[in-house]
Amino acid sequence: MSQYAMVIDLNRCVGCHACALACRAEWHVPVQPGYRRNWVKRMGPEMTPEGMSYTFYPGLCNHCDHPVCVEVCPADPVDKVFKDFRTGKTKKMTVKATYKEPFTGAVLIDKERCIGCGACVEACPYHARYLDETLDEPKADKCTFCYERISRGEIPACVKTCIADARIFGDLYDSNSRVHKLVHGGAKRLQSKVVQIGPNVYWVGKPKDLNLLFKHYAPRERTWETVDNGIEDLGRRGILKAALRKGTRIKVL
Amino acid sequence: MKRREFLKLSTATCMAMAALGTGGKQGLGGGLFSPTMADASTGQLPGSLGAKEVTSVCEMCFWRCPIVAKVKNGKLVKIEGNPKSPVNGTRVCARGNSGVQLLYDPDRVKYPLKRVGARGEGKWAKISWDEALDEIAFNMDKVRKKYGPSSLAYFDHGASAEFLREIFKALGTENYSNEPAFFQCVGPVAVSYMSTMGYIVSGTRQYIDMANAKAILLVGSHIGENVHVSHVREYVEGLAKGAKLVVVDPRFSAPANKADIYLPIRPGTDTALLLTWINYVIEHNLYDKDFVEKNCEGFERLRQSVKKYTLSWAARICDLKVDDMEQAILLLARYRPNLTIHPGRHSAWYGNGDVGRHQALAILGALFGTVGAKGGIIFQTPVVKGHAECLKCEKLPSEEPETSLRDNYPFVEPFPGSPTAAIIKATLTGEPYPIKLWGINGVNILQTIPNPYDTMKAIKKLDFIFCEEMLMGETALWSDIVLPGATYLERYDGVYVYDGITPYLTLRQPVVEPMFEAKPPFWTAKQLAKKLKLKGLSCEKEEDFINEELKEAGLSIASLNKKGGIVTYPGKPYRDKDSLKVPTESGKIQLSVSDFADEDLPPVPEFIPAPAPPEGFARLIYGRAPVHTFSRTMNNLWLHNEWPENHAWVNDEVASKIGLKDGDTVILENQNGYRSLGIKVKVTPGIRPDAIYIDHGFGSRSPFLKRAYKRGASDQFLITHYKNDPFMGASSHRTDFVRIIKDGKTLNIPELVCVPPEIPRFQIEQS
Ligand code: SF4
Repeated sequence: MSQYAMVIDLNRCVGCHACALACRAEWHVPVQPGYRRNWVKRMGPEMTPEGMSYTFYPGLCNHCDHPVCVEVCPADPVDKVFKDFRTGKTKKMTVKATYKEPFTGAVLIDKERCIGCGACVEACPYHARYLDETLDEPKADKCTFCYERISRGEIPACVKTCIADARIFGDLYDSNSRVHKLVHGGAKRLQSKVVQIGPNVYWVGKPKDLNLLFKHYAPRERTWETVDNGIEDLGRRGILKAALRKGTRIKVL
Repeated sequence: MKRREFLKLSTATCMAMAALGTGGKQGLGGGLFSPTMADASTGQLPGSLGAKEVTSVCEMCFWRCPIVAKVKNGKLVKIEGNPKSPVNGTRVCARGNSGVQLLYDPDRVKYPLKRVGARGEGKWAKISWDEALDEIAFNMDKVRKKYGPSSLAYFDHGASAEFLREIFKALGTENYSNEPAFFQCVGPVAVSYMSTMGYIVSGTRQYIDMANAKAILLVGSHIGENVHVSHVREYVEGLAKGAKLVVVDPRFSAPANKADIYLPIRPGTDTALLLTWINYVIEHNLYDKDFVEKNCEGFERLRQSVKKYTLSWAARICDLKVDDMEQAILLLARYRPNLTIHPGRHSAWYGNGDVGRHQALAILGALFGTVGAKGGIIFQTPVVKGHAECLKCEKLPSEEPETSLRDNYPFVEPFPGSPTAAIIKATLTGEPYPIKLWGINGVNILQTIPNPYDTMKAIKKLDFIFCEEMLMGETALWSDIVLPGATYLERYDGVYVYDGITPYLTLRQPVVEPMFEAKPPFWTAKQLAKKLKLKGLSCEKEEDFINEELKEAGLSIASLNKKGGIVTYPGKPYRDKDSLKVPTESGKIQLSVSDFADEDLPPVPEFIPAPAPPEGFARLIYGRAPVHTFSRTMNNLWLHNEWPENHAWVNDEVASKIGLKDGDTVILENQNGYRSLGIKVKVTPGIRPDAIYIDHGFGSRSPFLKRAYKRGASDQFLITHYKNDPFMGASSHRTDFVRIIKDGKTLNIPELVCVPPEIPRFQIEQS
């Protein structure tokens, strides 16, 4: 069993935004509003019960244990055989256009099969996805934990550029990994009473900074429950949305 | 048809249309699926993987981090840190990452331009390089003959400006060299450490050892908001290893958030606090007596003159609590000598007293014995490189002017160049001699130098003004001829050596061919030298002088590249306090600088209060957005997107008293009635009620910078009153005040903290 995870150390982070820019550069993320795989949001200076805080929310997809974005994907499931890039082991799974990769736990998107309906974008309570409408065929996009890179022995682009070494990446189930140690040492993930879907990005920091992070960015809406992915109803959201674009597929119909 | 079936059909159609086998085949046939397929259309690896790599040196700011540029199909796709670099490794900051978008910025100067409208109007004709250079050479020669060599002035900054500086020097003017960097920025700190320690502990670089410090003091330094990768890394490393942090700042900055003790000081009173601490340290025997006896001169003089600065006095002046100030100095004292008293960097704040403030920091560092100690002030380790003879340019026989613009400033020696303010004044008034031609390279003079309105007036008086620019910023807008400069990604520069804690030698080299008609500055300078019939700049191409410079280090471009573009050397940063010798005349640290006394300047720092805001105004303070450099990155596609505009930080109590809400758009008006462009308000308890903060560099006035134009407010266009430092002539930047205009209504800033009688109030001149 393994699950890749990231811990972000707010005590080290200086809020320089290098991570967000390295990601944009690596993956050619367009600059339309809301388009990003990786972000830094600034909070404060603001009073907290633990004192004044001026801190940052360096965020990315949480590659959740129970990815609600995957649940709502309306694409037809197909069988696929996955391969562990470390051991060479294979595994066959039935997956939709977005799925949780079995050997790393990374939540990925099969761009060939994504129909660009945007259901997953709406479902994510962390707003970690965006729909890339600059493409002729719009597709959902988000952080992949740099699967393309890690599977070739590289590290994620944001980790590689982090000037403060504030981002720690590794396998949560490897008890020798720093990620494992930090998570078992009390690193916090962004959850709330109502949203608990097993995110795999964690933060460590002073109580005042975590206080601000949770106050402003812990998800409090079960966003996925209101997503209508149109599976049972032709005339609804997905189609309408698609029809609004210049997509030729609709005209074929 | 059910949605489900529609999807099936549409997915299939889509696949058929795209003629892609991967998803479909694997899905249907159960073949091996890899989410990391190479790009189907090009067969290339995803992202920056598999790119050709060229090592070089970043110039998104002046810090010069070693980089690796990644090129695919002749296109730059990514920039990372050079893994062999001992200072940044694979890392670059947000700006370093965004160099790609400087190279490909659509608003670059693409070919030589000649002004056809009025100056500043922005009407251009495209001309050839030959015409442009002819015109520049003709005017340089003409102005020089008519008004003398000193009538030529050159505003330069950075590596790209160095070659052209040779031309100005050869023509016989001393009005050149790093005007903005020195006279708007590091002048005071450089002079104070030069005089106290004998070397420039803080200029471009800071020779300090934060990574090994057990405590760090920052006075107005915003590490993390101003981002220089190795500097940040050393600071973070120190903190991670447990260093205590004391931050003195009127604003709750990013480092204030990490501080153990934060002192929200009244702006303009830092020296009062520092002198009080010095007195406290002496009185309570907290200083390193042995170190001072062995290595310092002037202790008694210092002791006598700081006696008057008591904690209770400072509490009133600085608007701080006695207890907090005392706790802070006790905390710092506990960790001597492994202590970083950060020297600061940008120090042209108030004109009067700036040298004294940094002198006080230097003294505090010396009293704690931090000089040469782990965690303290470190020594430079010279790195060998040659000086290429073929870069020199023979100076034409020139008469020295009777009065030099440097005359009024006794400590501008040994620094080159003339104070910017004096150049602008001479241009405006013709006194002490006329200045009639400006050349500009690497600096946006209107967004860098106080009172841009005067600068524009001065430009109108010139016979000729030209610049070499990459982007069509304000400088280009106001020039007669604009030369398209090559970016750092398209050119060589001289060999770069770093003499800090981990010394190295590296080289900037072109990653791609120059775009459009851009040319490297070496080529430009060489052509100009020819046209002006100057003797020198004789090397044919950059590689020649670089190889000459490298020879002395036993290297060549080829061998350096084989080694990964960088060579490192062992550093010798520390000294034993028993064998310490600083490079002053006597080899001792000057706690009292007699040279200053010789010029009727205080040998030991004194507190000179900066006038308090006039009624209804708050002091304008400024700093850095971490993703921007000066005013030069605001048009960068990615950086603009990340941080498109600045905000005016207004204290929450002040805001509620005058009815301001977070996010309101307002105009800032300074004490002379100059108004900013619209800017959004950030309401926060993290700033004092007597100050308003904005990030530097926004509010571009050049319509040719399509993204940056009119986004946010420019601090520089609100700085119309300034004073010149009596030591070296730097221009002050924190001597202006603003109030707020919202919906056409003027909102005076209520005075929530009272001003003690020792601090005079700024008098607004009625004109
Ligand atoms: S600090 Fe950033 S912009 Fe400056 S040289 Fe280094 S990477 Fe480049």
